[in-house]
Amino acid sequence: MSLKSERRGIHVDQSELLCKKGCGYYGNSAWQGFCSKCWREEYQKARQRQIQEDWELAERLQREEEEAFASSQSSQGAQSLTFSKFEGKKTNEKSRKVTTVKKFFSASSRGGPKKVAQEKTLKQGQLGRERNTDNLLRDLKEIFAPAWELASPSEEIQEAKAASPSINRQASLETDRVSKEFIEFLKTFHKTGQEIYKQTKMFLEAMHQKREFSIEEQSECTQDFYQHVAERLQTRGKVPPEKMEKAMDQIEKYIMTRLYKHVFCPETTDDEKKDLAVQKRIRALHWVTPQMLCVPVNEEIPEVSDMVVKAITDIIEMDSKRVPRDKLACITKCSKHIFNAIKITKNEPASADDFLPTLIYIVLKGNPPRLQSNIQYITRFCNPSRLMTGEDGYYFTNLCCAVAFIEKLDAQSLNLSQEDFDRYMSGQSSPKKPESEPWAPDACLGVQQMYKNLDLLSQLNERQERLMSQAKKLEKDLIDWTDGIAKEVQDIVEKYPLEIKPPSQPLAAIDSENVENDKLPPPLQPQVYAG
Amino acid sequence: MSGQRVDLKVVMLGKEYVGKTSLVERYVHDRFLVGPYQNTIGAAFVAKVMSVGDRTVTLGIWDTAGSERYEAMSRIYYRGAKAAIVCYDLTDSSSFERAKFWVKELQSLEEGCQIYLCGTKSDLLEEDRRLRRVDFHDVQDYADDIKAQLFETSSKTGQSVDELFQKVAEDYVSVAAFQLMTEDKGVDLGQKGNTYFYSCCHH
Repeated sequence: MSLKSERRGIHVDQSELLCKKGCGYYGNSAWQGFCSKCWREEYQKARQRQIQEDWELAERLQREEEEAFASSQSSQGAQSLTFSKFEGKKTNEKSRKVTTVKKFFSASSRGGPKKVAQEKTLKQGQLGRERNTDNLLRDLKEIFAPAWELASPSEEIQEAKAASPSINRQASLETDRVSKEFIEFLKTFHKTGQEIYKQTKMFLEAMHQKREFSIEEQSECTQDFYQHVAERLQTRGKVPPEKMEKAMDQIEKYIMTRLYKHVFCPETTDDEKKDLAVQKRIRALHWVTPQMLCVPVNEEIPEVSDMVVKAITDIIEMDSKRVPRDKLACITKCSKHIFNAIKITKNEPASADDFLPTLIYIVLKGNPPRLQSNIQYITRFCNPSRLMTGEDGYYFTNLCCAVAFIEKLDAQSLNLSQEDFDRYMSGQSSPKKPESEPWAPDACLGVQQMYKNLDLLSQLNERQERLMSQAKKLEKDLIDWTDGIAKEVQDIVEKYPLEIKPPSQPLAAIDSENVENDKLPPPLQPQVYAG
Repeated sequence: MSGQRVDLKVVMLGKEYVGKTSLVERYVHDRFLVGPYQNTIGAAFVAKVMSVGDRTVTLGIWDTAGSERYEAMSRIYYRGAKAAIVCYDLTDSSSFERAKFWVKELQSLEEGCQIYLCGTKSDLLEEDRRLRRVDFHDVQDYADDIKAQLFETSSKTGQSVDELFQKVAEDYVSVAAFQLMTEDKGVDLGQKGNTYFYSCCHH
């Protein structure tokens, strides 16, 4: 026995293997030398202590702030100013977040975020009151929260510290819903489910401790967690692969809904700055046409432009999701619509040579909010197996590529001359649009239809006017014609005046009574001649 | 489909119009398409299950845009790829020059990635030998240099297409088996994995 252990090279004394507390069980270095039972006890104690300390700290802070407020009331001067210098940014943000909560609890309508600047001197006092509001909220939450919610140590600590007054009603509702779903889901795993739940809780708590760490470290922790949970499920839980996927998805959903607000676009990084830069860049590139990018999509086909609109909606919707997988699903949905648009236009399946330019075009048209933050968030916190190889991963990679292209884009990549590119960028001129489209190419379908209708109406109007003038002319012609005729008749009448000659003497009836009888020679009388 | 697990990421690289998409189409659907075709909406990403011995391996085949304007971004695509099929057109010498560019990039950035050189459109050479612009022996020498496999394929006739992808899958399985063997030899003890859950809980 002793020979054997000597040969092995590593000698471990029996006593070192036992639990440090001396309960007789074996200990484990992972549990700081305790056995599992003792470790749990120790750990519980430490945690209670931590919670207690946090409470005290919170109370002390509140007291101090109240005192500070009181003193600032008496001497509103240098002191409060220096304080606000330190706390300026943080408190600013806090009060901004709290306004929604405040509205619920205070009857008096105090200034919204816009007034923050003027209220600087009042800030400490307000903060004290806000803390009270938070306490109240917490109490309320404790009353209403289901049992498992209370079991969450991270939540308790977080609230005890009163460091996060941003209890967004809707967000917490969603968190609750997701938690319930998660628990329901884990029930199907029986014992393994319990273990997963415990691990997840521990992880969330660990992440809470690491909140001050850099985002890369937090991301690494999360990735490690995914990997080890997956390993555990596979080796210990003997979970079949298809169920594994589902389990991993649920775990991701659960932890990321909780971590989201702390790790999405965190203040410690320059994600926000990058977001703004990309947004500005896309705005500056508003003049890029599909032709420049060689996009094989013909938006004049109504079906295609419908697909394009859907794709843009999907990519914009990505920002509203909290779980990385849901964000990926938005990208995939967007990509599917793009493929359909290309297929309808070209009548053949799209290859990457068609797809990437179209995606770039969609991103330029949509200008999705917080693009960089979303990409970073997915890269950091998505379950890596999904991201690296699957279909979602492919579309996500294409999106990264599209953003990279937009950032680096120059005259050459659009087949433009440098002068043209510079002129368009500076807004001095914009590329000529084809004559047939007097409306902007990015106008929506309704607007386009409206333009078409306007066109039609103006054409109709023109025709109507033409018709009217023709009619007028016709009328005039008719009038002229009658006038002409009348004049002609007149002329002729004048030329040949109508002379009414007395009717020629009719031959008098010989035997009629005739007035002119007297003019007749007297009738011949018979005469006697002697002779 | 989107939830499908993929074991092995394969990227297709190559200049525009060398026939990357046709190659994938031929392999996955066993057809060569001229003119309009209807059944698939996109050939940019394809997952294909295949068997190697008694194992099944799912290849995730990634098509990439070959245009020079996206050259700077191509490295985003091959991150994490276990295999890369670098395509060139046997009747176009410039496409082979571009292939060399990708090989160089892959070698410097993605060491774990196995490279497969793939000359396409070999059916055109059957019709007229004089069309060949890339010499077989030159490429073979080059392939030996970079430790790559070489295939001359035709998506029209299907020549060497299945062999190419079968080889990709087989190589993956044998490499994975080798890795498993080396891992079993005892990297386990020091692995962060076993301690992680507990070590991160206390402070």
